[in-house]
Amino acid sequence: MSGGVYGGDEVGALVFDIGSFSIRTGYAGEDCPKADFPTTVGLLPHDESAMEIDGDKEKKAGKTYYIDTNSLHVPRENTEVISPLKNGMIEDWDCFQAILDHTYSKHIKSEPNLHPVLMSEAPWNTRAKREKLTELMFEHYNIAAFFLCKTAVLTAFANGRSTGLVLDSGATHTTAIPVHDGYVLQQGIVKSPLAGDFISMQCRELFQEMSTEIVPPYMIAAKEAVREGAPPNWKKKEKLPQVSKSWHHYMCNEVIQDFQASVLQVSDSPYDEQVAAQMPTVHYEMPNGYNTDYGAERLRIPEGLFDPSNVKGLSGNTMLGVGHVVTTSIGMCDIDIRPGLYGSVIVTGGNTLLQGFTDRLNRELSQKTPPSMRLKLIASNSTMERRFSPWIGGSILASLGTFQQMWISKQEYEEGGKQCVERKCP
Amino acid sequence: MTTGADVRDILELGGGDSENTGIISKKDILNSDKKKSKKSAETLTFKRPEGMHREVYALLYSDKKDAPPLLPSDTTQGYRTVKAKLGCKRVRPWKWMPFTNPARKDGAMFYHWRRAAEEGKDYPFARFNKTVQIPVYSEQEYQMYLHDDGWTKAETDHLFDLCRRFDLRFIVIHDRYDHQQFKKRSAEDLKERYYSICSKLTNIRAPPGTDLKMLVFDAGHERRRKEQLERLYNRTPEQVSEEEYLIQELRKIESRKKEREKKAQDLQKLITAADTTTEMRRAERKATKKKLPQKKETEKPAVPETAGIKFPDFKSAGVTLRSQRMKLPSSVGQKKIKALEQMLTELGVDLNPMPTEEIVQMFNELRSDLILLYELKQAFANCEYELQMLRHRYDALAKAGSLGPLSGEGASTDAHSSIGMEEGKGDGKDSIIDVVGAPLTPNSRKRRESASSSSSVKKVKKP
Repeated sequence: MSGGVYGGDEVGALVFDIGSFSIRTGYAGEDCPKADFPTTVGLLPHDESAMEIDGDKEKKAGKTYYIDTNSLHVPRENTEVISPLKNGMIEDWDCFQAILDHTYSKHIKSEPNLHPVLMSEAPWNTRAKREKLTELMFEHYNIAAFFLCKTAVLTAFANGRSTGLVLDSGATHTTAIPVHDGYVLQQGIVKSPLAGDFISMQCRELFQEMSTEIVPPYMIAAKEAVREGAPPNWKKKEKLPQVSKSWHHYMCNEVIQDFQASVLQVSDSPYDEQVAAQMPTVHYEMPNGYNTDYGAERLRIPEGLFDPSNVKGLSGNTMLGVGHVVTTSIGMCDIDIRPGLYGSVIVTGGNTLLQGFTDRLNRELSQKTPPSMRLKLIASNSTMERRFSPWIGGSILASLGTFQQMWISKQEYEEGGKQCVERKCP
Repeated sequence: MTTGADVRDILELGGGDSENTGIISKKDILNSDKKKSKKSAETLTFKRPEGMHREVYALLYSDKKDAPPLLPSDTTQGYRTVKAKLGCKRVRPWKWMPFTNPARKDGAMFYHWRRAAEEGKDYPFARFNKTVQIPVYSEQEYQMYLHDDGWTKAETDHLFDLCRRFDLRFIVIHDRYDHQQFKKRSAEDLKERYYSICSKLTNIRAPPGTDLKMLVFDAGHERRRKEQLERLYNRTPEQVSEEEYLIQELRKIESRKKEREKKAQDLQKLITAADTTTEMRRAERKATKKKLPQKKETEKPAVPETAGIKFPDFKSAGVTLRSQRMKLPSSVGQKKIKALEQMLTELGVDLNPMPTEEIVQMFNELRSDLILLYELKQAFANCEYELQMLRHRYDALAKAGSLGPLSGEGASTDAHSSIGMEEGKGDGKDSIIDVVGAPLTPNSRKRRESASSSSSVKKVKKP
C-alpha cells in the first residue's frame, strides 16, 4: 500500500506459531492461519518398508515422521508419539525440521526462500536455541529474512495493546507474562503446570474411579445405542495392528479432550460440594456408545486450576492457582507499571476456553486487585482468536509497513552470524 | 463515456483521453457530472427582468431552463447521497516489485505489492523510523569526567548499550540488565547513572560561557516515591477497610460537630437576645421617666431582631387601622401562636385589647417577650434533656465497668460543668467525638445564666 494512513505492507511473509499443543502456519496479513495441526507427531524409528508412497510422511535419517492429524490418526505398528517441544522450547530438532518440511510442502506449497519468516517462541527461550533456530532457517531453508518474537508480545499485539499482562493457559502450562511497550519483562514471568494436560490427567483419573473404559474411535468397528448408564455394546475392529502404548495414550487423550471441552465448567465461586450438586448435569456419550450424566465432577475437576490445594496427586501443593499466577507476576514488576498491567490482563490459550474460566478469573482478580488500581480483563469472545492469538499478532506485526525494517535479512545473518538474533529480536 | 474509454482501453488505443491518465481524486469518483452542469448553467443564465419578483422568476427559470413541472418530481440534486461512479477511470495496475527500505542499514531487498506508477519511489514507512539520540563518550572523556567509584567502565558501557537498544525504556533495561556479571542495581540507579553522565557530557561539551539549563534526575526522590507506592500497594485488605472505616468515622464526627456548633449558636443568639431585652427594658424605664413623649423614636431602632416577634412597620401604607399593628406577622408559627395565646390567658390579658396607641405598643412588646421566654424555655428543656441523656449513658457505661467511680460522683454533684469531662471519659469512639464537641462546656455556664435571665424577664414582665 502506498498511503501512510493504512499501515500495512504486504511482503509475502509467513508466520509460524509453535505451540505445545498445535502448530499454526499461514501468510501474514490474513486473519487466521492456513494450517493448524498437532505438534505431536508419530515416529517410526526404523523404516524398513521403504516402499510406502505415503504422501504425509517425512523421512529423516532412517526415521519416518507422521505429521498432521490425518496421518497421525492412522493406527500403525510401532509408531511412537513424540513432541519436538519440551517446556515450550524446541528440543528435537530433527522432528522439528520434519514438521517444517511438511508445512512448506503440504500447506504453504511454495519455495521457502521466497518468504520472510516470522516465528513465535516461548518467552523463556534460551539463547542457544534461538541461535540454532536462526541457523536452521537461514542455512537449511535459505529464507530471505527471519524474525523471532515472543508469544506474549504477539498476543498483546493481537489484542491491540503494547503493554499488558498476558495470561496464557495452554496445554502444558499456564503462564503470566508481563509485556511492557512490546517487550517481555523476563524477570516477571510466572509459570504453573496447571493447564490443559493437567485437566486431562484429572479426567483420566475420574474415569478410572468411575471405571469407565476409554475406547478411542480407531478401535471401534460398530456400536449400538444403549440406555443411559448401561454397559456399552460395541464391536472391536479386527486386524488392528500392534500399536504402541504412547500412540494409544494419545488417542485416548483426544477422547478426553473432547470430554473436557464439552462437559467441564469452572464454577463461579470457590468449589462447594452442595452448590456443585445442584448444578445441572451434562450428558456425554463416549465413542463406544456408553453414555451418562456428569454432575459435580464437571465443576470439581477444573477447580484445581484455581485452587490447587485440594487436588489429589499433587505433592506438597506448592503450585499456584491461576489467580495467584497473575498477581505474583504483577507483584514482581516495577511499581510504576503495575496499574498498566492490572488495566489489561489479556487472557489467551485453548485452556481458557473452559466454560466460566474468565468469569472466575475476573472474580478472583477483583478480590486481589489493590483498591488503587483498576482491573480489566481482556478476553476475545471468539474461539479462534483465543486459540490463535499469537499467530494473529504475528500476522498483524509482519504485515505492518513499519515492521519491515526489523527483519534479520540474509545479508545481516551472513555478516553477523547467528548471534545477531539476540540483538535484533529482543 | 465509460464504455468508450473501456473499449479504447481494451483495444489499447492510447491517447484521446488525456484527462483520464491522471490520478483519480475522490471528487472525480463521487460526482463527475457536477462540473459540466456548472458550465452549462453559466452559459445559460438569464437576467431577471426588472420588476419581477425573485420567487416568480425562480418558478419560471429553474436552473435547467425548463418550464416548472406540473407535478412534484424527484430532482437530480437535493438531499440524496451521491453515488460513487466507479470504473470511469483507467485502472492503475499493481506490481510485485522489489524495494529497499532506507530505514534498514543493510540495504536488504524485499518484495511487495505496489502501484506500478510508484515504482522507484521511497519506501513510505521509512519516515516513521525514529530513534532516541544517546550520547557517546570517548575513553578519554570517561577517564577525565565520568569516573564513578560505584561503576566500572564495562558496566557503564553495558548500560549505554542497553539504553541504545531499548530506546531508554528503563524498565526494560532493568529487566534485561546483566545482573549476573554486574551487581544488582535498581532501575533508579540505572537512571541516575545515565542522566548524570548525560548532564556531565553536555556540560563539558557546551561552549564556555553559555548558561545551560540542566534537568537533574532526583534519584532519592524517585526512590522515596516508589517506596511510598510500594507501601500503598502492600496494604492488606484489613488495613484498607480500617482506613475506610476511619474516614467514615471522621466524617460522622465532623457532621456531629457542625450540628453542635449550630445548636450552640442558636442558644447563644437566644441568650444575647434575652440579655439585650432586659437591659433595654431597664434603660427604657429610665428613659420613660425622663422623656415620655419621644419614647417612640428612641426605642424603635433598638428592638432586637433576633428573638421574639418582629412586628412590621406601617409607616408608608397610608391610612390604616391601628389594630392592624397588633396583627401577628406570618413568620410566627402555629405552635408559637397557640403557646402565646395560652400564656396570655394565664396572665389574664385580653387577647384582643382595645388598640390605643399605648396599649398596642405594650401589647406587642409583651407578646414579643413572651415568645422569647417561650423559646428560652424550650432551649433550656432541650439542654436539660440532653444532659439527662448523657448522664444516663454515663451511668450505663460506669456500670458496665472500667470507668472510675470518682468522675461519676462529680457528675452527680456538679452536672453542668462536668459534661465535657464526663463524655471525654466515655468509651473509645465517643471520646473522639466529644473531644471535638468540648467547646460546649463554657456554654453550660451560660445556660444557667440564661435560666436566671429568663426569670429576670419574668420579673420585668410582671409589672
